[in-house]
Amino acid sequence: MFELNRVIPFPLKEKMGEHKSDIWNKQIQFEPSERIKITAPSGTGKTTLIHQLYGLRIDYNGSIQFDGINIKHLEADQIAFQRQSSLSIIFQDLKLFGHLSARENIELKRVLQKPFYESSMINEMAKRLGVYDILDQPAGICSFGEQQRICIIRALIQPFKWILMDEPFSHLDLNNQHLARELIIEECTKRNAGFMLTDLNEDNSFTYSRILHL
Amino acid sequence: MKELKILLSKIIKDSSGRAKLITAIFGLTIAILLLLIAVQLQVNYNYLLNSKTNRDSIADFLVINKEVTDATLGNTQMENSIIKEIKSQPFTEAVGLLIPSRFKASIESNSTQFPFYTDISFESVPPDFIDLSGTNWTWNEQSPFVPIIIPTLFLDFYNFQFSLSQNLPQLTPAIVKMVLFKVTVYGKNSNRSFNGKIVGFSDRISSMLVPTEFMNWGNNLYATDTNTQVSRLIIRTKDPGNPELSKFLKTNKLTTDSDKTRFSKYRKVVDIVVQLSSIIGVILFVFSVLIFTLFIQITIANCKDEIKLLVILGTSPKQLSKFLMGKFFPIYCWLVSFTVFIIMVMQYFLHRVLDTQLIFISQLISPITLFVALFILGAIWWANKKTIQQSVYT
Repeated sequence: MFELNRVIPFPLKEKMGEHKSDIWNKQIQFEPSERIKITAPSGTGKTTLIHQLYGLRIDYNGSIQFDGINIKHLEADQIAFQRQSSLSIIFQDLKLFGHLSARENIELKRVLQKPFYESSMINEMAKRLGVYDILDQPAGICSFGEQQRICIIRALIQPFKWILMDEPFSHLDLNNQHLARELIIEECTKRNAGFMLTDLNEDNSFTYSRILHL
Repeated sequence: MKELKILLSKIIKDSSGRAKLITAIFGLTIAILLLLIAVQLQVNYNYLLNSKTNRDSIADFLVINKEVTDATLGNTQMENSIIKEIKSQPFTEAVGLLIPSRFKASIESNSTQFPFYTDISFESVPPDFIDLSGTNWTWNEQSPFVPIIIPTLFLDFYNFQFSLSQNLPQLTPAIVKMVLFKVTVYGKNSNRSFNGKIVGFSDRISSMLVPTEFMNWGNNLYATDTNTQVSRLIIRTKDPGNPELSKFLKTNKLTTDSDKTRFSKYRKVVDIVVQLSSIIGVILFVFSVLIFTLFIQITIANCKDEIKLLVILGTSPKQLSKFLMGKFFPIYCWLVSFTVFIIMVMQYFLHRVLDTQLIFISQLISPITLFVALFILGAIWWANKKTIQQSVYT
């Protein structure tokens, strides 16, 4: 469970008075298994929020607690443990190792901790998302669409309680978006996990428990 | 986990260059080798000085007597007080009393082919101070002969001067040892003859030596005066070049064989060489560890982006540090094992070579050297761990 207590990112401090936000400077909780959509225009801090929840950014006032522990107070090894066991992420800028093959990029997240799935699951997921044929190509030469699907599989191959997704379908056509959503819902249901998704577009294919405006 | 290790190896490569790695490995090998050689040499050196098997041939024996000057003429006996004082000095390991014969004696040949006769005198010395092994250095009235040790110098004098001038045959030590001489001890009213046999030649004490038992018997029965004071002392010392020893002798107006002190200078040179190689070894070691540390830092710096992304994705610094240690530490293990192996081979051959010169050292590497090798490995491990942790956790 996430608990946000009057979080104001430093870069948005000056703008706080200009618009109303459901999250910034509010006391808010995200319960386990919730499915949350964050909507906001560009530049209002969607990526910042995702990074803060993931523990990548600590430049904010207020506090964020995950399962009762202030994220800011965690040691490097404790944050790593959270990222291996509880928090999964799909970055907007993908963050793949270009010289590793697509399979190796996914495999890395599978074996970083005690594997949640056998390696054969990579093939299964890749087949469902239509990237099976490019699994052994270097990730750097794959198209953005392919890379994004690799990132989705990478995020789903590990154990998690929450999956944070920052514009995860920005490079996918409608059909591939649909396939990816189905897979994500299936995996979250399996784990009884929650997700948070930021997206510029309107979409109705997920059933959200809350839609929040930044 | 094996799979993770393979993936991390693909991500974190030795992009800092093979040449630098080889230079660092080479430097470190030389450094560790020098250090371990210095340790092993020191161990061998101490063994030579202190072990029972070598002590007699290596440790120095000094014969000490009073300086003969106008002031000391006729009064060169060593008093009990000075003997006690010498015994209590830190440089003294053992003291032996040289007792001179107080009776007249002669030695003559039993052979007509090799006729000679001469008046002689003896000195006696305790068995511990004799540099001949396997000799039964004792005597009683039932003994078949009186064992005698003569200075090697006497045989040289005979072979290279006396025999040539008198047209006599030269003698080998073996022949001399086979000859039975007639030793006669003269008292006031009587005399007594024994068989005498030369049992060995000594470089240590420049007088004709007989067992203490024979000396005591002779002095008791045939002494011309009752003065039984000690004429000279023999001491065993680790370091005849010890300045304390020279100072003590000078203060008490005592003299000794100056040739022996010259040997100590050679030993000092060995000491300096050993110390120098330790110092050079330590300096090289520090520099090589520094090179290796820099090498690791460069490797990490070159893979900074990859390491950052790994951490973002959830790789723990502990996992990274373990991987990096696993990448570099086996190199050190191989390297130290290799140098230990070299030292083992060197020690074995040194043992074989010295054995032929009757200098005995162990054929096996010393546990102290192995301990130092492990200590070096521990020091490198610690330095690496610190470097990696600093780079990974910041």
